[in-house]
Amino acid sequence: MKPAICTLAFLILAGRTAWSAADPPVGPSDQCQNLQHHGQLAQAQACFQTLSQNQNPFQSAEGYFGLGLYDQANDQFRLAVKEQPKSAQVRSEWGRLYLEHYQPGDAAKLFEEALEIDPSDAPAYLGLARVAAGRFDSKATTLAQEALKHDPKLFEAHELLAYLALEDGDAKLASEESQKALAANSEALDGMAVLASIDWLNGLPQSQWMDRILKINPVYGEAYATGAHFFEINRRYDEAIQYYRKALALNGKLWPARSQLGVNLMRLGNETEAKQELERCYEAHYRDPETVNSLRLLDTLGDYETFKSGSVEIVLQKKEAALLRPYIEPELRRALATYERKYKMKLPGPVRLEVYPNHEDFVVRTLGLPGQGGLLGVTFGLVVAMDSPSARPPGEFNWASTMWHELSHVYVLTATHHLVPRWFTEGLAVHEEGAASPDWGDRLTPEIISALQKKQLLPVLQLDRGFVRPQYASQVLVSYYQAGKICDFISEKWGDDAILGMIHSYAARKTTAEAIQDNLHESAAAFDKEFCAWLEQKTGSTVRHFDDWKRGMKAAYTDIQSGKKDDALHEALAARDFYPDYVANGSAYELIATALLAKNDKTGAIQNLEHYRDSGGTNVETLKKLATLEHEASSNKQAARTLAKLNCIYPEDEAIHRTFSSILLAGGDANDAVREAQAVVDLHPADQADSHYQLAMALRAAHRPSEAKDQVVLALEAAPDFKPAQQLLLQLSQ
Amino acid sequence: MRLLLLLAAAAVSASGANYFVTIAGLGGTPEYEAQFAKWASDLDHELKSNGPAARVTTLSGNAATRQQIERALITIASEARPEDSVALLLIGHGSFDGTDYKFNVPGPDVTARDFARLLNAIPAKRQLVVNMTSCSGASLPALARKDRIVITATKSGTEKNATVFARYWVDALKDPAADADKNGTVSALEAFRYAEGKTNTYFESEKLLATEHAMLSDSGSAKAVHDPKPENGQGLIAAAFPLMRPETGVARNLGPEKRNLVTRKQNLEAEIDRLKYRKAAMPADDYRQQLTALLLELAKTQAEIDR
Repeated sequence: MKPAICTLAFLILAGRTAWSAADPPVGPSDQCQNLQHHGQLAQAQACFQTLSQNQNPFQSAEGYFGLGLYDQANDQFRLAVKEQPKSAQVRSEWGRLYLEHYQPGDAAKLFEEALEIDPSDAPAYLGLARVAAGRFDSKATTLAQEALKHDPKLFEAHELLAYLALEDGDAKLASEESQKALAANSEALDGMAVLASIDWLNGLPQSQWMDRILKINPVYGEAYATGAHFFEINRRYDEAIQYYRKALALNGKLWPARSQLGVNLMRLGNETEAKQELERCYEAHYRDPETVNSLRLLDTLGDYETFKSGSVEIVLQKKEAALLRPYIEPELRRALATYERKYKMKLPGPVRLEVYPNHEDFVVRTLGLPGQGGLLGVTFGLVVAMDSPSARPPGEFNWASTMWHELSHVYVLTATHHLVPRWFTEGLAVHEEGAASPDWGDRLTPEIISALQKKQLLPVLQLDRGFVRPQYASQVLVSYYQAGKICDFISEKWGDDAILGMIHSYAARKTTAEAIQDNLHESAAAFDKEFCAWLEQKTGSTVRHFDDWKRGMKAAYTDIQSGKKDDALHEALAARDFYPDYVANGSAYELIATALLAKNDKTGAIQNLEHYRDSGGTNVETLKKLATLEHEASSNKQAARTLAKLNCIYPEDEAIHRTFSSILLAGGDANDAVREAQAVVDLHPADQADSHYQLAMALRAAHRPSEAKDQVVLALEAAPDFKPAQQLLLQLSQ
Repeated sequence: MRLLLLLAAAAVSASGANYFVTIAGLGGTPEYEAQFAKWASDLDHELKSNGPAARVTTLSGNAATRQQIERALITIASEARPEDSVALLLIGHGSFDGTDYKFNVPGPDVTARDFARLLNAIPAKRQLVVNMTSCSGASLPALARKDRIVITATKSGTEKNATVFARYWVDALKDPAADADKNGTVSALEAFRYAEGKTNTYFESEKLLATEHAMLSDSGSAKAVHDPKPENGQGLIAAAFPLMRPETGVARNLGPEKRNLVTRKQNLEAEIDRLKYRKAAMPADDYRQQLTALLLELAKTQAEIDR
């Protein structure tokens, strides 16, 4: 996944309370919930039905809530709050209604209102913890602990802490918290579900905890759904599907589980069944954003075309298929061939690559919820979904590096049977980007420098936490960078065989500590120390001079604005050397090029901009300017390199293909010139006649006269008096 | 047909004068002032390159007052003849209060009805208005008239953001690619399609919600379209309104043999046009075969003419 954001979860977050025989019913709906807790669903429904008719609005609200009649429950809660404006309990319960009805923002407001009334209201803290947990916010743990401070017997808080710990990959803590929940309530079903999940994740399908759960509640499918969630966040989608099915076999009305089943089926490319499951949810009025958005996306799949050929399946939107396929397919095959050699394995089936021109569609396809702006690509087993280059503004996105990144996941997930920790597969994917092309991969950004200055890198054994539950805004990106550098370091010091060895260790269910010991022959602590020293060598100078760089850049921009070009050049050159990895907007490279061009030093400007290009610069206009300068200087080999890079960043630019085609044609590379000229035609330019004419010229050079004639006829159809095309037609007709 | 109409129009413009009035209105900020003035200056430069038949007037900055605009258009009204053509190009900010469109200039603004009144007084039959301002769609009802091409950068008065259409309209006059049919002339229709296409690409590539949708009407109707074509009855007059003729050649005295060839060429072009209009109703292979034969014949004829 590049970068990573996990799916929203889950049943435990909705917060149904469990009751035990030792804890008899006392609240308005406790009797009904007790029946539900023990799997007597029909009786529970009857009980809630009766309760809904109660004259007391709070009791009536709880009744409707139990029946899943949210609108009616909401109305009754509103009345109850009017009747009991000083009751924290009513507001907390109302908040729980909103949380279950996929409105976490509204839920949070009600929990906060409850706390204003009673700052010691433990259920309100727990509610806020659940809201935070649903957002993978690190505050979830603190809030759950706060709830326990006010009510040490609140076993649901322990259940949530167990759940959060297992999401963080800390099975030991998850187990401890579950046991605490069970100590407080021997029928803490969700605590047991976490314990069962630990067994399932460890390859023990017959968990004693599930047996215990079923004795208490024979239809408690929620436990299997909990397990499915943990498979899902560990990217074990096949098993997630299997466990959602088990959940539904016990209770077919578990709509959140059915919705997630549909979403996961869609992830693995089983669109027909996905649609059936999601439509069942919709028809049953379970219409959370994931269900609705996924159905909307499934309705648009007719706009896509699938190209199957041997070991690959490429899904492209029809409108851009002609343009993108000639670039994507060869690059996909090159990546697969590289990884097959490198990882010494063959994939069990064809790789399916889905390319989405609408970023929101891609996000729905992958996560079920729009609005995750940072995501570029995601891998689900042998399925890779990613943004199309047209999904993002020019310069923001390199489709080729993203594809290499995701395909690395395909191999590593397959090789480890999805047992690889997040940090390793992400780090390796970043490493592979750089191995495929040194200007790809993650750069040292100011946010990462800041983290290095504050010594915020995590020990390798805790690095997964940086991906799942970041503790500061840029921690996910910092973790990507760190994980990538760790893999660079391993590759550099121990070689690629050590990386392969670690993959095999993970496949054998070894921990990171064991994988490091077995393959790098040192402890994780020793590894951390060595890695930090290596990273310091690579980044220390930039980190130390970061403030100098900031001052230098500011001075350079001030100087250039006031016409002091020589001073600006001097400042910018120094700044570039302080921080050569900075290639984002307003980089020193661009400023230096401007200053050098003002002095008519085109050679210097070209050298500087080539440095920018090779350091990872992606500004489309800057790279186009470089290609023009190189072309003018007859440095066509370099210009071709620049234009090839632009094709990975912004293949929708007609001028890039036009120039590239003419350079290739002049250099005698007619076949590639045809590809570029064809791209111009596929972009439907204003000058249709010329685009067909240029393609005809390239085809003729590639000794494809019949196709050349077809194209020249198209050129003349648009512009019958186009003289160069007329002359070519005459030549081709001789 | 389109081509015949074009030839007829070119003949008219060759004998008449072409008046171009470009006005860059109030920018409001130094950046917009500079941008609008630059576009107006670029248009001025490009239009003047059409030669002496092009009578180009450009008003921008403080010179673009309502009084100066009226004076410029009244002067043209006194000079122009029916066979002349007039193009009014408006760059800047417009506004719409629900009733009136106003072109923002220093001092009192100029309304769409003011422009209509001034243009109606000009005897030149062929008129073009390119209103590239925000809210320009609201000017269409007042300006639409038989034989007048009206192009607006926005589809209505509610598209209030500053527009980018003007940038691409200027480019259309500079870029040979705008001459889509390669006849050496950039028509108003070609410039519209070029600028409209580039504007759409701009919003798509920048992932921005499109805040302007350019429209054209040359049928006299206030119902403009964004895709003028024979099927919707729009674009025929605009196709015959030349803006740029960078390849304007010197009229040659042709001998009888060459005159016959030119006649043959025109007949072939007309035949190709007719074939293209029948395309949808023909089997694809037949169409392609006939088209190729005609194009080949046309190419041979052109080669003979050029020999």
